[in-house]
Order: sequence, then C-alpha cells, then structure tokens
Amino acid sequence: MTDSLTIAGREFGSRLITGTGKYDTFETMRDAVAESGCEMVTVALRRIDLDVRGGGEDITDFLPEDLLLLPNTAGCETADEAVRVARLARAGGLPDWVKLEVIPDPRYLLPDPVETLRAAEQLVDDGFIVLPYMLPDPVLARRLEEVGCATVMPLAAPIGTGRGLKLRDAIAIMIEQSGVPVVVDAGLGSPSHAADALEMGADAVLVNTAIAHADDPVAMARAFRLAVEAGRTAYRAGVMAEGETASPSSPVGGLVTRP
Amino acid sequence: MTATCTVNGREHPLEPGETIARLLERLELGGRFALVECNGEAVDRDRYGDVELAAGDSLVVARPVAGG
Repeated sequence: MTDSLTIAGREFGSRLITGTGKYDTFETMRDAVAESGCEMVTVALRRIDLDVRGGGEDITDFLPEDLLLLPNTAGCETADEAVRVARLARAGGLPDWVKLEVIPDPRYLLPDPVETLRAAEQLVDDGFIVLPYMLPDPVLARRLEEVGCATVMPLAAPIGTGRGLKLRDAIAIMIEQSGVPVVVDAGLGSPSHAADALEMGADAVLVNTAIAHADDPVAMARAFRLAVEAGRTAYRAGVMAEGETASPSSPVGGLVTRP
Repeated sequence: MTATCTVNGREHPLEPGETIARLLERLELGGRFALVECNGEAVDRDRYGDVELAAGDSLVVARPVAGG
C-alpha cells in the first residue's frame, strides 16, 4: 500500500526533506543526501564570487538531477526581497518551487508572519509553489493555506538549535486543522524528534543541522530516514492511548508461586 | 573609452554587442545554473543569448549554494 506524500500534485516517496547547508564538504553532503533517501533538498541563492575562477565549486554538480531543488529565500528580511529572489531563481531555470523564509531577526531567526503572508500571496499569484517557513500559529497557517500555499512549515524550535518539538501543542493544532501538508522545519536535533513529529501526524520533516553537524553525517542521515519511516508507520498503525495507572502485560491469575 | 557594466558590483569592460550568454562565458560561469538579474529585473535563461548589455547596466549573477 503506497503512502506517498503529495505536495502540489507531485508525489514523494520520502517524507524527509534535507537542507544542504553546514556540511564540511560537498562530498559528505552528497553522500548524506543519498543515504537520507530524500527526494527534495533546499538550496540557498547567493551572488557568485568573481574572485574565484568559475565561481568555485558548484553545489549542483554534487546533486543528482532527479532530486527536486527547493530554492530558499534565506537572508531576505522583507516580502519584496523574498519575491525578488524567488523570481531570480525561476528565471534562471530553477524549479518554480520556493521555500519562503522572511526573517528579520538574526538572534532567534524567527520569521516575520506579516511579510511572509504578503510574500506568499504575491508568489502564489505569480505561479510559484510556495512552502512557507513559519511560527506554528494555526491562524496564520490557515491564512497561508487560503492564499494558496502548498504546505505550511512550522518550526519545532529555532533554526540550528536541535531542541526538538518545543512548540508541540501549537503544531498539533495545525496538524488537526490543516488542509495542506504540514512539514515540521527547523529545530529537530535527533532522529527521535523526527519520529515524534511524524507520530503526531506531521506529513514530513525538513532537517539540516542535525545531520550535517553529526560526527558521522552519512550515518545520521540514515538514522533520520529510518526514524521518519518509523514515525510515519506508527502514526498509521495508531499509537496507543496513554493510561494513568499500570496495566499488567502478563496474566494476573495462575501464578506459579501462589494458588 | 571602453563601455563598462557592473557585475556583482565590479566593473566589467564590455565587448561590442556583448550578450548575457557571452558575459557568462567570459567569466567562465558555465555551471548548471547562473541566475541573472539585469537592472533589478530577473532575466529568463532562454533569453541570455538575446539580451545585449549596454554601458552602465548593473548585473547580479547568482547561483545555488548550500543552504537549509
């Protein structure tokens, strides 16, 4: 039985999306991406350094062509900047998918909800498939869905902190109410965090630092793949209800030591 | 005097009739993606061979890099 993830009509076998940042080398990144089994990776866009011949190593030489590249708008602080970056990416031949991030705050890297909604509306009108990074605010999620976003992507904890599902209850409400896939993005530090997100019904997770900064990123990529599969399988299997008191797993009668 | 444009803030001497495609070739930017903005407007990749640069044009050339 297939259990694929569908975003904007495109099917993905994997519910793990990975970022390509923070790896020591492109070779490690390439191997970790392959081991993760993901079918979509994020990339940032930056000016080419003209002081380096040919602009230096090209990350896309290390990414298979069948992988969907998801350009992000990292570094943008306003809706106008984000729209500009997305248009540049699409004109230059990148997919018309965009991970929309509008982040004015360098300390906690929290997204600006007003500018994010404004940019989302404009980009959807422009024909983009928009995956917005957001605080887990169920009301904002609804607004983003209404303007036509393909997913909503709440942060679990601030980017790069690895603190796990700190905003769990708000994400749970989003999952309950969302009509588009909920992708938990940012703050997941370990495979158990990812499994937890999938078990509670998130449709996918996006992971970067937790893999790239592991001692062995390739092995950690595999661990995240397995955790995402486990979490999703558990969600579909139906996680048991919690109890207040103990309930024995062995028969209470017929004890060997007592009649 | 040679006509120039700017590329990522740096002055670039133009050949007569230089197109964006030729500019990228001269800068050896032949990767899978070279994203170009000319005077603040994104340029479609299939027009790189047609758009001729003029003195004073301001270009941004970007590409995908590692990111989350």
